[in-house]
Formats: sequence, structure tokens, C-alpha cells
Amino acid sequence: MNDQATPASPVSSGMFDDNRQALEIAREKVSIEVRDLDLYYGTEQALKGVNLKIAHNRVTAFIGPSGCGKSTLLRCFNRMNDLIDICRIDGEILIDGKNIHARDVDVAEHRRRVGMVFQKPNPFPKSIFENVAYGLRLQGVNDRRKLAEVVERALRAAALWDEVKDRLNDNAFGLSGGQQQRLVIARAIAIEPEVILLDEPCSALDPISTAKVEELIADLKNDYTIVIVTHNMQQAARVSDFTAYMYMGEMIEFDDTARLFTNPRRKATEDYITGRYG
Amino acid sequence: MSAAKETGLHPVQSYLPSADTMARRRRLRYLADTAAAWTVRAGGGGVVVALALIFVYLFSEVVPMFRGASVERTNQFAAPSAADGDDPVLALERYDTIGMRHSADGRLSYFMLEDGRLLEQVQMAVPDGVTIESMAFGEPRSRRVAYGLSDGTAIVVDHETRLEFNDGERSVLPDPAFPLGPTPVTVDDEGRALASLAVQRDRNGDTGLAAQTEDGRLLFVHFETITSFLTGESEVKRQAWTVPSPPGALRELQLTSNLWSLIGVGDDGQLMYWDIANPGSAVLRDLASAVEGDERVTELKMLNGTFSMVVGTSEGRLSQWFLVRDERATAGDNIFSLARVRDFDRHPGAITRIQPEYTRKGFAVVDDAGGLGLHYGTSARTLYLEQVSDVPLRAVGISPVDDQIIVEDDTGTITRFDVWNKHPETSLKALWGKVWYEGRQDPEYVWQASSGSDSFEPKYSMVPLTIGTLKAAFFAMLFAMPLAIAGAIYTAYFMAPKLRGYVKPTIEVMEALPTVILGFLAGLWLAPFLENHIPAVFTVLVGLPLSFLLVAWGFSRLPQSLRLAVPPGWEAAILLPVIALVVWGLVSLSPLIEVWFFDGSMRQWFTDIGITYDQRNALVVGIAMGFAVIPTIFSIAEDAVFTVPRHLTQGSLALGATPWQTVTRVVLLTASPGIFSAVMIGFGRAVGETMIVLMATGNSPVLNFNIFEGMRTLSANIAVELPETAVHSTHFRILFLAGLVLFVITFTVNTIAEVVRQRLRERYSSL
Repeated sequence: MNDQATPASPVSSGMFDDNRQALEIAREKVSIEVRDLDLYYGTEQALKGVNLKIAHNRVTAFIGPSGCGKSTLLRCFNRMNDLIDICRIDGEILIDGKNIHARDVDVAEHRRRVGMVFQKPNPFPKSIFENVAYGLRLQGVNDRRKLAEVVERALRAAALWDEVKDRLNDNAFGLSGGQQQRLVIARAIAIEPEVILLDEPCSALDPISTAKVEELIADLKNDYTIVIVTHNMQQAARVSDFTAYMYMGEMIEFDDTARLFTNPRRKATEDYITGRYG
Repeated sequence: MSAAKETGLHPVQSYLPSADTMARRRRLRYLADTAAAWTVRAGGGGVVVALALIFVYLFSEVVPMFRGASVERTNQFAAPSAADGDDPVLALERYDTIGMRHSADGRLSYFMLEDGRLLEQVQMAVPDGVTIESMAFGEPRSRRVAYGLSDGTAIVVDHETRLEFNDGERSVLPDPAFPLGPTPVTVDDEGRALASLAVQRDRNGDTGLAAQTEDGRLLFVHFETITSFLTGESEVKRQAWTVPSPPGALRELQLTSNLWSLIGVGDDGQLMYWDIANPGSAVLRDLASAVEGDERVTELKMLNGTFSMVVGTSEGRLSQWFLVRDERATAGDNIFSLARVRDFDRHPGAITRIQPEYTRKGFAVVDDAGGLGLHYGTSARTLYLEQVSDVPLRAVGISPVDDQIIVEDDTGTITRFDVWNKHPETSLKALWGKVWYEGRQDPEYVWQASSGSDSFEPKYSMVPLTIGTLKAAFFAMLFAMPLAIAGAIYTAYFMAPKLRGYVKPTIEVMEALPTVILGFLAGLWLAPFLENHIPAVFTVLVGLPLSFLLVAWGFSRLPQSLRLAVPPGWEAAILLPVIALVVWGLVSLSPLIEVWFFDGSMRQWFTDIGITYDQRNALVVGIAMGFAVIPTIFSIAEDAVFTVPRHLTQGSLALGATPWQTVTRVVLLTASPGIFSAVMIGFGRAVGETMIVLMATGNSPVLNFNIFEGMRTLSANIAVELPETAVHSTHFRILFLAGLVLFVITFTVNTIAEVVRQRLRERYSSL
């Protein structure tokens, strides 16, 4: 896994923690850098000159109203937008200093390094074990012993092991929504990604499942750079270290989460987080 | 309209109808709702009921085939001119009004069947001091009976009847005839008594007589009747030969109707076969024992057509025998040997008389325990076997239309029975097992339902047809399945949406193509084309995929600028000219390949190495019917692949899977229920398809899996034969059985498909 894991940040998460200190993006190690990114769906421009630096082993949240481009931006990071024929991209995205659109980048390998979890839990119609082992099998790992080890490690990391260890060969559809979502996260971390992209991971979950996933996110950031898109501002405040507010395809404000929520620099941001938006 | 009413702050005009109107309309709405619900229910139920009725109808047409015979006693009367120890021959005429009886003392009596009243009696012209020593009857159709006399002569008589119509009233009248004249004809020039006798009329109307004299000599006499067409007078030409004598006295003697073979059986149960095709050099070809231990043969008769004989024994055993071409004989030699073909249910007493049916391979048997049995050769069925009399029975006669039987017991009483015995030819074994047909060397699966001759043995094996159906469907699926499924995956998963928008409807429209056109093209264009370009079949099979790979490799080597000129998802379009070019090239190369490697004709080469090549063969059918089922499979499979949720494919891609890995590990798995049912529905269609197989298979009901030979399918068989079969005949009902089998196959396939699909869907549901 990630051997550059930094010690746990002294910062506790939570919106109403008065002792919370501001983090400075400038002091963080940069994992993803977005430079002047324009993205078009056909003739319609979905992202407009986005510039952004995402800190290594931190949680970065994208918030903003529906259709503001936050999911689109997230999907750029693992090139899922390549699947949309009419999508065109200008600008650069660098991960660990390397342009992800460079010709020698293998898309499949790139997506392995940048894992993604979707809004709706999407386990494959296979057993729990095979779901987690899927990514390894793709890489040609078929040794049952190695797979079992990785599956256990990933499920433990996703805090799901205790709930499913006795029914690894059951169909993944038998799990609850929250379990499915954690399974999908386990599936993503089984292939040792550097970045995990979470696209509204809790929008289809009940509050208890949501709490579990959020807890998991807090654990995972020790080892992974996490980018999360969410509609839920409390969630952003709870889980993230940095937050970006987007509106109409533009990056309106990007800052340390505590500061953005308590002391936004832009009026639009304040309107949105205080609920006066729209 | 109700008046405006005050709602909240604003006065609004309400457009809702009045409460009464609404209540009335509500009732109407419920009525319409209920009516719709019941219409839907009735429609659905109607479909099920219709299907069930079709099934029931098919079944009801098929079931009578498996009923045995029913025999019902109608009346009883004293036989005319009966005597103790008589051994009469009984016969009926076609309208079942008159019976005929030949008694051992030389009287032919015609009598009414309803009361036994004597109509006419003919006394054979037996000279004084001469007695009747033996009797014989030929094929029932010939109505010919011969009496062998003690002075070495014989009298031959035909118990004919004639029809007369008076005022539209039909009456059947006795009309006995003496084809060789009423006076005895000489059989033995030495004038010794004829101890046993055989008679037969051949195709030219000539009479053959064979006899063993009391001193053991075996004679064969041929009487040729020559009618002068100038004077109308007929003259009988006699030729006589001596046949090698049997070791002992013969109990029964029989001639085949071609007068080529003579069959005899001795008291010791030895069956003997003489080849008298060339009577001057007749030989005893074969000997076989028909009994075990001290059992004796009591009766030997030839079945209709005189190809096979039935042997009855003192223990009540019945066995069928016929002449089989000797395996040791070189090709072209007509050397036969006796073969025991099958046995029938055992009678309680010694067999006293076997009476063959007139046009079928069945026979009636009576025994000395009063038992009457109805048996059938081909199907080896015993349709009826019961004791009908307390006294031994000595003779039995069958109606030419097989619906009445008369038996005579030792007291001279004739009992008449009504018989229902319409479908003796079928049994599970006859339909689905190997049957040893007359004249064949081994038991086989054969479908040959009809022929021009009355003595033909119908061969109703469903096996060649069922296998033919499966063979046609198999080759069609072999062709269609890879193309349709691969095409579906590509179209649904890789193809640009715009191109897909053209491709999918085009292929689906192919489904509307009348199959008669496909069959017509296959039979009249594709079959001869393939025959002339056999090497192209193989080279295209190998060359086309190779060229695809080559083009794909070449494409990946092109500079990126050129590659990007092809929009993603349109790559398949590049292959179109490649396919055309490669196929054209290989087809034009085909004659050259034939010249270079196959001495100019690959078809001839196939024949030389022992592979049969029919012009209309499974390959042609596979391609043509493949085209017919491709749209079905493609359409359903494409839908299945296309509806695999995007979040699954994206989930897979997001885990670093290549598109191909995603297809093989997630998409196909998730789409498997749909693809499976696509294949099954395609298979069901291929099984039931009629026009293409009718026109392109050659319709020869052969039994093999050679791709270069044709077949006949159940459906094509129904289409070909139903128009020419008699309603409610066995053949007719067997065609219904073919329909039922077809129905059952498709029903089973579809049911399995549905069950498996449901199972798979259960597993991959909650998507």
C-alpha cells in the first residue's frame, strides 16, 4: 500500500470543533494538480478554467449545487470521461507531477492507481470474495491464498470483515446498501490505489450506514488521498480537510474546510453554505 | 359546471364537474377498469387454453396409434359342409357380406356372413378313386387356393366374387374361377400323391406350384397363361423342374410370389430355403432350426408381399423369419440366408393356423386352446390375444379391409368378430428403436412412409427425422450463434451509437425476410454455388478471421493521425470492404485450389476419399437457416448486453479493467440470462423452421451428422407428406406425432430456457 503514509493529522474533524486549526494547502504535499482545465460536452462547457491542488493523504471535498461540474471534475481524475464520446478536455491534470493524458499513460493502469466509488453501490453479480478479488484477478493474480489474504486485508480496511467473514461466497447482492458501499470501497482499495475518488458515496444510504462510511473515510485518509463529492455540507464538514465550492463549472472557492465553512471569502460560498442559495 | 368558489385568498373558477357527474363518471371509470382487467385476463387465459387445446388435439390424434386391437363377437353359425377332422381355408370379401370356405374334401362354399346361409357351392373335379391329399393358399390378395391330389395332379381355384348393382343396390355374388382350368393339372409326371403343396400367383398372373410327393421328391411347376389377343383364347404353358430333395418329409411348403424362393419346414422344425430363381439349377441354400427341444413346427405362412414368413410351433411360439442377403456373398450375388427376425407373444396352445392380412404385415393366429391372436410383423406387436373358444380352433379368415375376422372351431362352428385394428404398425420400439425391416441386412432406423406397392412395408422410424431436425438446428446454431452473439456484444458495447442506430434495425428487419425466399436462395443459388466452390468454404472460414486480425494489427500500426480519422466505434466499418475483398478473392481462388490440390474437383475428391457430398446439405442449411435465426438471437442478445447497467461497466473500468476484461468478466456475466434465452429462442426457431429446410435439405431422411449430407426434419416431413396421406391413417397420425414431438422439443427448450433465465436473473437481479 502507500508507504508514504504520514502520521495521523492532529486535526480532528468536525464542524463545530472550536479548537480546529487551519491547514494550509501550500504546506501540504500535492497529489493531484489541475491546471486551467476546460471540459466540454459537445458544445456545452461543463468546466471552466479550473485550477486546483489536492493534498496527499488528505480528504478533499467538492461541494456545490447540482450540475455545477463537481462530479465531472472528479471523473476527470481517473479519465472516466474518456467513455463519453462527446467529451473534450483542454488543460492539464497532473497526478504526482505526471500528466494523466500523456500518451504513454495506460488508461487501465491509471484507473487502477486512481480508484473510484460511485453514488450507487455497484457490486458485480458475483460473490463477496470475487468482488474484492476482481481487481487482482484483472492483474492476473489467481493464487487463491494470495487472493484470500488481500480480500481479508481489504475487507478489514473497509470495516466490513467482521460482518461478512462467514459468508464470503454469498452473492454480494445479499448485503445491505451500506455494506455494499463498503464492499465497493474494499474492492477499490484491494488493488492498492494512491487516490480514491468518492462520488456522493452516501447519497443512497441511510444515516447509520452513512456514519459507518464516514468513519471509514476518516480511517482511510491515513493511507490514501481521498476526493469526495457530496451534496451534504455537514458531511463535507465532518470528513474533509479541504473543501472546494464549485458553481456553474467554476471553482469558486477552495480552502481548508474549517475556514471555508466558518469564514468563507466569497459571498457566493457563504450564500450556499448558509442555505440562502437559490 | 359548478359555480366559482372561494379558495384561499383568490376566487378561482373550478373546472371539476359537479359531484353527481363525478360520481357517475367514477362508476364508468371503474366499469372500464374492470372490463379492461377481465379482457386482459381472458386474453392471457385464452392463449394458454389455445395452446393446451393444440396439445390436446395433437395428443388425441396420436393416442389411437397405441391402442391395441379390439375384437367383438357378432354372430355364430355352423360352417357349410363342415366335417370332423376338416382343415378348411377361410376367406372374406371386401364388403364383409360373403365368406368363403375351402374344405379338405374339395368343396368351395360361399356363405352369408350374417347367418351362415349357403349361397353357392363348387365341388372340385376330383376324378373317381382319387383323393385330396393337401391344400395350399397363396397370398391372400390372389385369392388362390390349390388342392393336391393323390394322383400327382392339382386343382387351382380362385375364390373370386363379383359386384352387381341393381337399382343402386350393391350385391356381392360368388364368382369362382379356375385359372388353370377346372380339370386337374399334372404336377408330378410320375403320378405320385402330392403330400404337401404350395401355390403362388406371380406378377404376370402366372401360377407357380411346388409340391413334395409322397416319396419325398420336391417339384416345382410353372404354369404360364398365354392369352391370344386375336382369338381371346388362353393357353396354359407348363414347365416342370425337380428341386433337390429335402432330408425328410415337409410339413409346410411356401413359395414367394416372385417364384424365386421356396421355403419348407420339416416335422423336426428345420426351416429350409431353396433358391429356385433358376429352376433348372435349383439349390438348397440354407437350413435353420426354428424350434428348441422336442417342439414341432405346426404352421408356416408368408406375410403379405411374401418377403417374410411366420413360423408357429406346437408350444404356441410364433417367430418371424426372412431372407437376408448373405454377408459372405460378394456384391451383386443374390445369395440369401434365413434369419430369425423377431418373436411374438406366446399362444396358450399349439398354433393351428396363421392367416396373413391382405395389405399389411399383420396376421391372425388361432391355436388348439381356443386362442385368437392378432400380431404385427414390423412393430412386433401382439395387438390381441385371448381365448375366444372352449374348443380348439382350426381356421381363421381375415377381411381384406382388416375389420372382420371369422374363426372356425373343431366342431365346425364359425364365429364372426368385428375388429378394430387400425394402427398395428406403430409401437414405441417401431417409432424410436432399430427395426429389422424386410429385406434389410440389419435392424435400422428408417423413415420411408409410402411406396406404390401393396406389399410395401412402411418404415416409420422417427429417429432420422428427429436427428435430422437437431442436425439442421445444430449447424444453423453453429453458424448463427458466434456471429449473432459476437455481433450483439460489439454492437451493444463497442459500436458508436450512431452506427448502432443503423445496424440494429437493419439486422432486425432481416427477421421479417420470408424464409421461403431464404430457402429458395439456399436451394437454387447457394447450394450449387457452394458445390462449385467447396475450397472457398474452408479458405473463407480460416481466411476471414485471419484477415480481421491482420487488419486490426495493421490499423494499430498506422500513425495516430490516420487512426484518429476513424471515429471511435466506427472501426467495424473498415472491415466491410475487407470482408468483400477477402471473400471475393478466396472465391475466385477456389477453382485454382481445386486444380492445384484436388485434381480439378473437390467434390470428386470427397467422393474418392469416401465422404458423401450432397448438393443440398447441412452446410447450406446451416448458412441459410443461420441467417434466419441470426436476427432473433442478435436482437435479444443485443438488448441483454445493452441493458447491462452502466454503473457495473464503469465500476469495472474504474478498477483498472480493460474494455475487453469488462466485457468478459462483468458484461457477459450480467447479460447471461438474456444471451441464454436468445440462444434458446433461436434454437427453438431453428427446430421449428420449415421452408428453408424443405427447400434446401434435399429431404432425404438419412441418419448421420455429416455436414456434407442432407437431412429431413420433422417439420419438412409434415409439410411434404401431410398433403398426400389418408386422413386418420397410421401415416397421418404419425405425422401428427411428428408435430407433437416438434411441439415437445420446442416446449422443452423454451421451458428450460425460461427456467434457467429466471434462475440467472434471480442471481443477477437487484441491479
